[in-house]
Amino acid sequence: MASLAINQSNYLSKSMTGSIKTQKIEDSILFSLAKEEVGAFEKLVDQYGNLIWSIARRYLSNQTEAEDAVQEVFIAIWKSAGRFDPNKASEITFVSMIARRRLIDHVRKIYRHKKLEPIDNCFDDDALQTKSILDQSTDVKIISEAINQFAEEDKELLSLSIYQGYSHSEISKLMNIPLGTVKTKLRRNLIKLREIFNQDQHTIVSINNV
Amino acid sequence: MCSSDEELLLDLLVMQSTDAISDKENSELQRLIKEYPEYKNYEFDEIASLAHMSYHLDDNSSHALLPSELKSKILNSHKRIDSLSLYRLKINAFMRSLFDQPTYAWAITALLVMGISFSMIEFKNYNSDFRYLPLERVLLQSTSNDLVEYPWYSKKSDFAMTKGDIVWSNKSQKGFIKISGMPVNDPSKNQYQIWIIDPLKYKQPVDGGVFNVNVTDQDIIIPINPKLPILNAKGFAITLEQPGGVVVSSQELILTAPEIRPSSTFTL
Repeated sequence: MASLAINQSNYLSKSMTGSIKTQKIEDSILFSLAKEEVGAFEKLVDQYGNLIWSIARRYLSNQTEAEDAVQEVFIAIWKSAGRFDPNKASEITFVSMIARRRLIDHVRKIYRHKKLEPIDNCFDDDALQTKSILDQSTDVKIISEAINQFAEEDKELLSLSIYQGYSHSEISKLMNIPLGTVKTKLRRNLIKLREIFNQDQHTIVSINNV
Repeated sequence: MCSSDEELLLDLLVMQSTDAISDKENSELQRLIKEYPEYKNYEFDEIASLAHMSYHLDDNSSHALLPSELKSKILNSHKRIDSLSLYRLKINAFMRSLFDQPTYAWAITALLVMGISFSMIEFKNYNSDFRYLPLERVLLQSTSNDLVEYPWYSKKSDFAMTKGDIVWSNKSQKGFIKISGMPVNDPSKNQYQIWIIDPLKYKQPVDGGVFNVNVTDQDIIIPINPKLPILNAKGFAITLEQPGGVVVSSQELILTAPEIRPSSTFTL
């Protein structure tokens, strides 16, 4: 709990960049996009291009597939921008939800599971800049902190499922645990994460409103 | 304490956000959501996305820069779709303004009848400019609220490496096949033929057009060209036929979408 309290004070100091409740809708790229402002789509690609490309490359080992998928993701975000409500989710959460959903659908259409091989040699120090957008997200920090408090087995299970894209039955074989246990643990951990996330968001808002 | 139905609903919602969910499981999920309205579709998508971002943040090897060529491609696609949308909006606004004046209504109706006749001729000779097919496909995906999408499943070992999908809209009577890894055919000897399964309207699968494959190592996009109006496409298939295609096939199925073969394809 102590570490969470420390993080909450960090969130306050970064409230303008992170907390979903303090983000002004006028500052949002999605809001500009929904209003069809000139240059808004370019801003969206500048802001989230590296992140979405990085995620797509993990899901899709084929360069052409990854490129097609990223194009589809951006078009989907553009079409959905009018639905963005900063009171419900931060911009990065909204963008990553659409990206992840589209990419999962894309992968499922093509093949069940894939080898996570690099497409090309585009990894370099500059690529680490893509982290900054996630570093600034309070939402992601809350979840990172919560996951770090999980047992090692639970962390691994979440990573295999959510990050590495293994199916529940593949995880059961990899971790040598029954399929039912995989499902139960995943469900329990996602519910726990959501509870922590909602509780922390509530605390941040309360403190900000003092 | 959850009831067994609620437990099942939670399991299905977790699967929806983390694993593949079958059509049958999805039907069950939708039934249970109606029973438990406090839950919603994609209930765990937000938290799963945040967890994904959290793992992504910690994994230095996964951070990459968007290639500049791809960035240009994305921006160009947006410009084209945006201008197409604007064009459609302008046409819609123009048509609405015309219909606001009753004196033009009969004349417009007559023109529409003529237009439909011409569009039917065009429909039969439907042939898109291949350069815009990826864009047209994305546009169909983005604008259709009745879109069906299925991956292709190979039915023959020679086609095990073939991958891709099909998108189709009954309302638009339009669809596209995306495929890679399909063996090259010799157009003088044979051509691939698309079949559309619409069991409510037709006993036999409907001819969806023929196509050739001249590359295997990259995606090709082929527009579907139905020879008859489709009411409700339930499945799609591809066979290898004589050049120009056939009306009723006696060849083996090469690919099907979805995987489970609709009963109406049994006559193929």
